Amino acid sequence: MPALKAADVEQALRKGGSARVDVDVAPKFKPGQRVAVRNLNPLGHIRAPRYVRGRSGTIDRDHGVFVFPDTHAAGTGKSPQHVYSVRFEASDVWGPGPPGDGAIYIDLWDDYLEPA
Amino acid sequence: MNGAHDLGGMDGFGPVDPDPNQPVFHAEWERRVFAMTVASGFLGRWNIDMSRYARESMDPAEYLATSYYEHWLHGLETLLDEQGLVTREELAARKAELSRETP
Amino acid sequence: MPSGDHGHDHSDVPSDLALRVKALESLLVEKGLVDPAALDVLIDTYETKVGPRNGAKVVARAWSDPAYKMRLLSAGGKAIAELGFKGRQGEDMVVLENTDTTHNMVVCTLCSCYPWPVLGLPPVWYKAAPYRARAVRDPRGVLKDFGVTLPENVEIRVWDSTAELRYLVLPQRPPGTEAMSEENLAALVTRDSMIGTGLAKTPGQGEAT
Repeated sequence: MPALKAADVEQALRKGGSARVDVDVAPKFKPGQRVAVRNLNPLGHIRAPRYVRGRSGTIDRDHGVFVFPDTHAAGTGKSPQHVYSVRFEASDVWGPGPPGDGAIYIDLWDDYLEPA
Repeated sequence: MNGAHDLGGMDGFGPVDPDPNQPVFHAEWERRVFAMTVASGFLGRWNIDMSRYARESMDPAEYLATSYYEHWLHGLETLLDEQGLVTREELAARKAELSRETP
Repeated sequence: MPSGDHGHDHSDVPSDLALRVKALESLLVEKGLVDPAALDVLIDTYETKVGPRNGAKVVARAWSDPAYKMRLLSAGGKAIAELGFKGRQGEDMVVLENTDTTHNMVVCTLCSCYPWPVLGLPPVWYKAAPYRARAVRDPRGVLKDFGVTLPENVEIRVWDSTAELRYLVLPQRPPGTEAMSEENLAALVTRDSMIGTGLAKTPGQGEAT
């Protein structure tokens, strides 16, 4: 593709580029369901933060189907799949003791999760 | 990858400095790095996940010791080199050239 | 160190960096890979045009118009686009409402994901290690750094933007603002109140930053 021209900047920014994929993929989980984050430590790209791997939470909402970053970064395809906001109780992530109140909501893809 | 970018839960960085009067950019080089990164993305040679990975693959000690737009610069240089668009060698040579011109 | 070129001691960083960036730009321009005029437009856009005043208009509208607020909370992106704000890094927006019992706060622990069309580019602290490390672990402590203390019975929900959803917090409308116009309300909406590290200002507290 040629270099972005000054005259095209505004339009290009307004258009953006959604990572949402318009394909029909069945979700593996549904809101309210308990899930655990798989213990994944790939050498490549991953968007499941270390602090939540192995922890359990509850699916809060299903955001729909998105590009999967691990394969997309490796150049091996979009692997479209559902992304959910998953709610983790702070005490389940950090253990006992202050400041363990509240919750953390993390956006996670189907391939990062398994039933708890 | 388990890089230095994955900061959630790490201790010891001290308090947040919430200074509300910070400018959008602190130096001209930050402006240029931001704009070059966004503009080069439109070449279509890599995607956002590749560019995040290029920043994350920075040496962990260096990542923590440098600022945000230095991470972006590292990422952009890495991607351009990988794609053969601007190699490390070309960059080093041009830098040396410019350095001789402006002592 | 992949390049071997910049692993030296960092005392000379500013001038060295400027040179490194200049070298890169000159090569990109020479090879026709970037148009310097396009770089200037990009910089001007995010330095002077797109910023948290956009988000403040969205919040003020939601405070003034209950039907708009409902649309905003159920389909954030569409409702935000009604005011003309959309595009890069705001393609898939989610709006989170703060209430008497719930306080939402947004972070990106892995990088710096942030809703550009409504807030502009993120402030330095949002991208820096102290906030990214501690927001998920000690949100009350972080709020204290911002001068905010919330009652114990308020549940703090921290949203880690790990995917391509971008979050905007709808702060609580301050008391004593019932008669205010949408424009005056917008002046009370701070950037930090839309990230969740602050609260909206009360009338007489001065201009929003």
